[in-house]
Amino acid sequence: MNRSGLDEMQLLKRNQIGNQCFLLLLYMLMIDTGLYGFGLRWINYPANIMIILTICSGIYVIRLIAGNAYVGPAGGRERTALRTMLTTLIAVGIGFAVVFLLKTANFTTNSRDNMAAPILFIVAAVAITVAATVAIVSHIQNKTDL
Amino acid sequence: MGKNLKLKSARAAKDMSQKNIADAVGVTRQTINAIESGDYNPSIKLCIAICKVLGKTLNDIFWEEDNHE
Repeated sequence: MNRSGLDEMQLLKRNQIGNQCFLLLLYMLMIDTGLYGFGLRWINYPANIMIILTICSGIYVIRLIAGNAYVGPAGGRERTALRTMLTTLIAVGIGFAVVFLLKTANFTTNSRDNMAAPILFIVAAVAITVAATVAIVSHIQNKTDL
Repeated sequence: MGKNLKLKSARAAKDMSQKNIADAVGVTRQTINAIESGDYNPSIKLCIAICKVLGKTLNDIFWEEDNHE
């Protein structure tokens, strides 16, 4: 058992998924830069990076959960609950920090980025829907695997 | 990679579930399931741990007979 608490198959999956998501992030950033070079700006600066990062990190986490490579065998019920609680608290904290930064930085002065808020909302909504679907699928898989 | 039916039968002979073996060797149940169904090739360390739990040798559980001999 290693420090991360994952077993060998989980580590293998996590590394594989991490590599693929890193390459996905790289390609999406390059495509975004390329589009900007051609004069096409689909959304203004801070939002485009945020959306790309959200998509890639979302895919990473969802695939980890779907592939059962998120929580290792060492953690019993208590540790899993503690980890979930800590993750939730950190996520809420980061959420507040992002909202605070977006408000104080005043990114939305330009009229071109009127679509930023709806797109961010849609991305978050889709991510939550996919996460819920993954949770249901994992639950069903756990019942049928045996 | 084919299914590891030897592991499955050895587990059944010991009246152990996948979860029992997984807890004993410190992996998830899904890992044991993947080994049994041939989706994952375990390390020698994990093979030895599984054999010790089942009271078998590596040959008993993981050796595949060559049909060409």
